[in-house]
Formats: sequence, structure tokens, C-alpha cells
Amino acid sequence: MPSPSQLSPDDVASRLRARFGDDVSDVADQHGHAVATVTRERYHDVCRFVRDEPEFACDYADFTSAVDLGEERGFEVLTHLFSTAHHHNVRVRVAVPRDDAVLASVSDLWATCDWHERETAEMFGIRFEGHPMPVKLLLSEPFEGHPMRKDFSLMTREAKPWPGAVEGEEDEEA
Amino acid sequence: MGLITERTPIPQIQPVKFILNWGRRYSLWVMNFGLACCAIEFIAASTAKNDFIRLGVIPTAHGPRQADLLVVAGTLTDKMAPALKRVYEQMPDPKYVISFGSCSNCGGPYWDSYSVTKGVDQIVPIDVYVPGCPPRPEALLHGILELQRKIKDEDIQEKFGAVTQPAVS
Repeated sequence: MPSPSQLSPDDVASRLRARFGDDVSDVADQHGHAVATVTRERYHDVCRFVRDEPEFACDYADFTSAVDLGEERGFEVLTHLFSTAHHHNVRVRVAVPRDDAVLASVSDLWATCDWHERETAEMFGIRFEGHPMPVKLLLSEPFEGHPMRKDFSLMTREAKPWPGAVEGEEDEEA
Repeated sequence: MGLITERTPIPQIQPVKFILNWGRRYSLWVMNFGLACCAIEFIAASTAKNDFIRLGVIPTAHGPRQADLLVVAGTLTDKMAPALKRVYEQMPDPKYVISFGSCSNCGGPYWDSYSVTKGVDQIVPIDVYVPGCPPRPEALLHGILELQRKIKDEDIQEKFGAVTQPAVS
């Protein structure tokens, strides 16, 4: 249900630009959700701003997760926020380089992010600085490696390669 | 059962062996180790339409310590595997295990996963494998009949070897 005080992605863009300037490089509109790309240094500040600013009031953190974009582009960490008062969705997107995979923790702002950051940390090998309990969440303690990284090798596939088409190679034969 | 000893010839007497095996195979208190969608098929097999209770499988064991049959139904992960091992070890002998569904047989659709155990038989010994993803309740009924056929011909002393007990003087 749209609320009268709901911010459109354009509203989110103008308000974040006014506050953070060039540290918010891009605000995209994805199906009515504002997706703000921010610098790594201001990630925590942006999150605090959209939580505390009455116009945003993003009091509900839906999830924190990451995407591995490959060797050169590194990781992309996403935190999806929602306002129960205004009913708008804001996703904060931040690029994290592969060789220095560290990001500030926002678990002090939303308790939800505690477990989500632990999962992201073990799956992608990203360290969340300031996390109160940086240990594994889902994987067993002796597990080695970060299985959601693209360069993680699956032991079974070493023995038997994937029998079907591999993404990106389907069109070559056609 | 104290009958599984070298010094007691009773289970080797053919009619006694028949009666023991007959009793065992029609009173299988079952523990459902439900891990995924296969557990729902197990429940469907226990309800009125398929009704494995008519075969003597009793799905009301209070826990592994009261169960004779363990049905591993679903995707076993490496993290869950110690729990399965523990449940199996808590069950009293003689005990039987049915591996129900592709995941517990060999990993199934998760054959290349980083977290799934590829085959429950790496953790506990399996008596009957039921294939399918998930198998229909009828498949479980067939698996139970296969297990009962196996129990019918079972020699309990052969199964456990000659268990030597200290001589009573």
C-alpha cells in the first residue's frame, strides 16, 4: 500500500545527494525501490542517516548480502531497508574490493544485520569491522573457504564436471 | 535382547528364529528423520490413504531410544550429519535404516553442493534405498516391504557376529 509520505526513488536521490554529495554516486529506480550506490567510507553514515532522518525512517532492515562480480569488479554488498511508517524501500549498495574485503558493520543500527553480516562474512570472506561477534553462522566450524565466491572450487565438480551448459557458453554453438 | 549370545542356541532353532523375525518385521517403531520435502511424503505414507501402519510400521516412537527403524527423509548436510549419527547410535539393536529420496541416497540435485552430504551411507549403514525426488508414498511402502523381506531371512547371530559374554560361574 503506498503511503502519502512515501518517498519515490527520485526523492531519495535528491535527499541523499543534498546530504552526502558525490559520496552517493548513483540512485537507481528498480521496480519502485531506490538503490543508492555509496562509497565504502560513508556506508555506515548513509545507513544511519536513512534510519534516523524522519522523512526516511527506515526502521526495518530486510537483509544484508553480497554479490561476487568477478576478479576485477570485486564484491557488491547490499543492505535492503524498509520503512514501516512510510512504506518505501531503500537499498544501499557499496562496492568492496577483492583484495581488501572490509566493510563497516551496521549491526549497531539494526540487530537484523548481525546474523546477515555473519552469513555474508563466511560466504564471501568479507570482514565486517565493528561486528560484535564475528564468527561463522551457518557453516560448520572446520569449513575452509568461502563457498559463494566465484573462485571457490566444488570438490565434486573437480571429479565430474558440470554435465549441462555453463552460463555464458550456451550461445557459442548456436 | 539377551538372545544374541554365543551361549544361547535359541535363535538358531528354526521355529524360534521364524517367530522372532516375524515379530520384528511387523512391529517396526519408526523414527522419521525428516530433513526436507521427503518428510512430507513420509507423513503422507503414514496417513489413511497409504497407511503404512497396516504393515506394522508404527510412527509414534517417542524418540530414537524407542525406535527400531530410522527413515532418513531429506537432504542431509555436513553440519547435520553428527546429529544423525547420534540418533542412530541411540537406537537399540536390532535397528534398521531406510534412506528415503535422492538427497539421502547420493546427494540428489545437490550432488555438487559445498554443504550437502553425498549419501547418508557415509554416516550410517543403510538397509533399503528408496529412489525418487521425492519418492511417492507407494515407494516407501515398497521399501518397507523390501525391508520386511530382508528381516524375514535375517540371522541375528550372523548379523552381529559371535558376541562373547563373560562366563557366569
